[in-house]
Amino acid sequence: MHRKQILVAAAPVLIGTLALSSCSSSKSSSGASSGGGGKPTYTIGFQGPLTGPNAQLGINIDNAVKLAVQQANASGQLPFTLKVAEADDQGDPAKGPTAAQQLIGDSSVVGVVGPTFSGATKAAEPLFTQAGLASVSASATNSSLTDPGNGFKTFFRIVPPDSAQGTSAADYMAKVLKAKSVYLIDDKSDYGVGLCGNIKSQLGADGVAVTSDSVAAGTNDYSAVATKVANSGTQAAYYCGYYADAAPLAKALKNTSYAGKTLSDDGTNDPKFISLAGPASESWQFTCPCLSAAAATDATTQKFVSDYTASAKQPPGTYSPEGYDVANTLIAVMKPLGTNVTRAAVVNGLRSVDYKGLTKEIKFQPNGEVTEKGIYVYAVQNGKITELGTVDTLISKG
Amino acid sequence: MSHVGGLPIRVRRSRKVDPRLVRLFGWLVLGALLRLMTVTAEGTSTDHLLVIDAAFKSTALIGWLVAGLVVWVLTELWHARKVGALVTARTTGVRQQWHAVAGRALSRRAALLAVVVAAIVLPQFLSEFYQRVLVDQVAVFVLLAVGLNVVVGWAGLLDLGYVAFFAIGAYTCAYFTGALPVTPLFTLNPFVVLPVAVVVCLVAGLLLGAPTLRLRGDYLAIVTLGFHEIVQLFLVNKNNWTGGNQGVSRPVPHFTINLLGIHYKWTLASLPYWFLFIGMLAIVVILFSRLEHSKVGRSWTAVREDEVAAAANGVPTVKYKLMAFAIGASTSGLAGVLYASRLGYINPASFPVVLSISVLSYVIFGGMGSIIGVIAGSALLTFLPAVFQEQNIVRQEDIPMWIGAILVTMMLFRPQGLIPSRRRKRELRLASEGVADADAMSEAPEGRTG
Amino acid sequence: MCLSQHFWQFLVPGITLGCLYALIAIGYTLVYGVLQLINFAHSEIFMTGGFAGLFMVQALTNVGVVPSGAQSWLIMFAGISCGALFGGIVAFLLERVAYRPLRRRNAPRLIYLITAIGASLFLFNLAGKLFGRDKVNIPAIYTNGVVFTVFGAQVRVQQLIIVCTAVFMMLMLDLLVNRTKLGSGIRAVAQDSQTASLMGVNINRVISQTFVIGGVLGGAAGFLFGTYLNVHYQMGFLPGIKAFAAAVLGGIGNIRGAMIGGLLLGIVESLSQSCMSSQWIDVVAFVVLILVLMFRPTGILGQRLGRAA
Repeated sequence: MHRKQILVAAAPVLIGTLALSSCSSSKSSSGASSGGGGKPTYTIGFQGPLTGPNAQLGINIDNAVKLAVQQANASGQLPFTLKVAEADDQGDPAKGPTAAQQLIGDSSVVGVVGPTFSGATKAAEPLFTQAGLASVSASATNSSLTDPGNGFKTFFRIVPPDSAQGTSAADYMAKVLKAKSVYLIDDKSDYGVGLCGNIKSQLGADGVAVTSDSVAAGTNDYSAVATKVANSGTQAAYYCGYYADAAPLAKALKNTSYAGKTLSDDGTNDPKFISLAGPASESWQFTCPCLSAAAATDATTQKFVSDYTASAKQPPGTYSPEGYDVANTLIAVMKPLGTNVTRAAVVNGLRSVDYKGLTKEIKFQPNGEVTEKGIYVYAVQNGKITELGTVDTLISKG
Repeated sequence: MSHVGGLPIRVRRSRKVDPRLVRLFGWLVLGALLRLMTVTAEGTSTDHLLVIDAAFKSTALIGWLVAGLVVWVLTELWHARKVGALVTARTTGVRQQWHAVAGRALSRRAALLAVVVAAIVLPQFLSEFYQRVLVDQVAVFVLLAVGLNVVVGWAGLLDLGYVAFFAIGAYTCAYFTGALPVTPLFTLNPFVVLPVAVVVCLVAGLLLGAPTLRLRGDYLAIVTLGFHEIVQLFLVNKNNWTGGNQGVSRPVPHFTINLLGIHYKWTLASLPYWFLFIGMLAIVVILFSRLEHSKVGRSWTAVREDEVAAAANGVPTVKYKLMAFAIGASTSGLAGVLYASRLGYINPASFPVVLSISVLSYVIFGGMGSIIGVIAGSALLTFLPAVFQEQNIVRQEDIPMWIGAILVTMMLFRPQGLIPSRRRKRELRLASEGVADADAMSEAPEGRTG
Repeated sequence: MCLSQHFWQFLVPGITLGCLYALIAIGYTLVYGVLQLINFAHSEIFMTGGFAGLFMVQALTNVGVVPSGAQSWLIMFAGISCGALFGGIVAFLLERVAYRPLRRRNAPRLIYLITAIGASLFLFNLAGKLFGRDKVNIPAIYTNGVVFTVFGAQVRVQQLIIVCTAVFMMLMLDLLVNRTKLGSGIRAVAQDSQTASLMGVNINRVISQTFVIGGVLGGAAGFLFGTYLNVHYQMGFLPGIKAFAAAVLGGIGNIRGAMIGGLLLGIVESLSQSCMSSQWIDVVAFVVLILVLMFRPTGILGQRLGRAA
């Protein structure tokens, strides 16, 4: 047994020396770099899920940010060069602070697009606030994030909060779908519980009966839940959660005799839902505070779609236009600062910015919320997601 | 002749394949597998063959296969020329001198002092990222591993749900500092919560252990796993009490000291937390060393090596197993308070089952039963992945895969761990010869259940 | 009472799930019977079967086999067989690489368990690396129409296929264990391995075969589960623990016990959801496990594989 002992004993020594040497060399990696040609280089950070079960939502925004930065650099009108730094938090609040720290520790990062998921935002924001680094989210919709009691002084978002989506979704079900009773299912996540709570209170105000249930994300069996929904006799069922779990629920519901309308939220509004649920995804509807670029008809958005598809090798997804807008807002704030872009200056610039983006005109209220709010409704028709309109227009149509 | 349960197996005389060729095949397969594992790509749901293509259709594969071939040649030569015996013979003199020096208590104390000084002084020279890694991960996991060592290494009980106590400790801290939706009976400073969390976790350990420690070892493993899952589900589902998946509603405050004229407030800076951790670890290690060399420690050893004989000699086995469980749980509680107030934000997702298994693997890797081994092993296995990840050598998602591979390899070749306790090593050797046993898990002779 | 309303509607999915748990539980119980080892990596064998079946279905669809009529049967059969085959292969390799060296060394039980855990960790993360971390849907192979209704509960094609396949495999296994030489070998080794080897049973071969049988059943269950829900690198974890709970419930080491335990657990899980919020569903399995272990550790049918008949 001697050879094995020696081999195994040598391994830790090798690993130890490797560790020590890489330890010392990594210290020099941080610090802002000055790019070639005398122009300073600044970095726009991105935090969100790039891997993990709900990675697509993060990837959508990440690609859009990279496109915006690439176009800005190519335009030649910037007094500096821009780079993108990615921090993967897998949508997990436990990884949020570490990912945030990665961006904060890089002193050339002057603004962050993200974090993408509400839970990770809550965990990471104290760090951003302390570092004075602006974090503008394209998708974190939890209503409590802009609560002044949190002290998140550098947090902004360009999407309306869940309270707005919840109210609109409830009104849509009550007034457009004319449902007398609704079955709500949340996935126990920070996002799901918050959204379903908002929907439930507005449905109560609209005079609609509500049955609530919760199924933790990652459950391996939805057949009993589907049976409960089918037996409830409700006219509509709304799932508050993400596509990875909405799909098995859709499949299970298809196996029952449930005849009501099936809806979900922006976390499910993704082509991945269709590929995961197959034919069971047909006629599901989604509410989303996001604009679907694919359904837009104006020339600017269509150019965005073709540019995005060319650079990211896939069509834009949910929150891609929002991510693009956030990146461009940051660039618009940085440009007048010339070669002296600091984190504090970016935060101040954001407070007074007025930028016309693809999705909306971007102006922020003092608490970081965007002033213009609009909730869209989409439906899966013939295996594709199509836009039905905004909730307000649909309600007014009768 | 190979043995199973002490009896010979019939050796088949027909179809004999040269074992050397079998070993060559093994090394080549290992090389290919390592190539597969070190590919930096990751498969997607639409392109399943992506990683396999990337691994095997490149020239790097040849490099790994050649490496496997070379290792095979070297090992065969080593075996054939009995190089191992030669080396042992030639270096007898050197080794004797080394043992003479290293065996002295003075050199052991000097080495220990050197390590402690390095631990205190060195972190100041690391970058902010690595300081953060040290406190967030290394500190917490070393504490956890030292606690789990008591349960697995000293009492020989397999606990797969150890992190449940970690969660209980962290949430106790959150509760008593007013961070949960439920208002506490009285608000405390995290420092004061330390003993409270220790007591709470102790009670939790006793509650879990009392009904289940009579179970057979492998059943105990599953029951502890089930306990962890139940605790997690409770944390997720009881929104009103624990905040559910949203986590704590207000940040958990940092440690503060306000007594005897010392006023100090820990903040987001990493180094003060590191020193706090060193202090906590020192106290725990000193206490546990005393425990190990006391009557309690000897009882644990007796239970571990042969439970029937220990019981026959009057050792109250269940009482000591319970004690080990409770002590392990309370250490976990300490780590939980440190973790909660350091991060400020906790939610049930911070305490997954994979974490329990990871801590167990750190303990096994380091050498269960020896405090130094466990500290070294867990420090290595928590610090290195961070280094590899930062240098982009290994992707973060692949780290559990490597930990699993390391576990299996260690169990196959060096089950006593990195720096084993001498007693443990002897136990494992005796167990393989069928003489005694190395854990409190074996089945009693026919007829007795559980 | 919450149970009396819609009882049959919850019973039918309960039986379906229960059959799947039973197939997986048999794998655990077989290995425990001959080796007294909880094979933690069995959940990964289940997952392998799911992926193998998925690839087979994808390959067939690419080749041009259209899922309709008789060809649906072909695809299903191919999927199940592929899943079973690869499940068996992985189980065989696992035993050879991870457990046999330990047996040769007469390692203490703790070491076996840790190796099993390490193998499990390694395998599912390797699968995640190779096949991606997203959930994957097995494309629809047949139209899932209602076949008949019983007391108001619809029974669909998918549920029938799962239950019939599971029952068929369990019947075959029962025949194998009780009527064949291999089966007597397994029962002999489970009862007393030393005496069995004295009687001329090749223990190594029997143990390998036991693993393979467990792997075949687990792999088939993986594919069926994949058609029911979806395929994912971590799909084995929860069903694995629940199936182990089922095996203990029925009497660990007892094959018929595992079948009954699996069915029972599936039914209890489904019915209990009619009474309470679905968020507590996973707790049911663990509570059942702990209660059984504390109050009747030998399970419903009692323990020994040797006395399975």
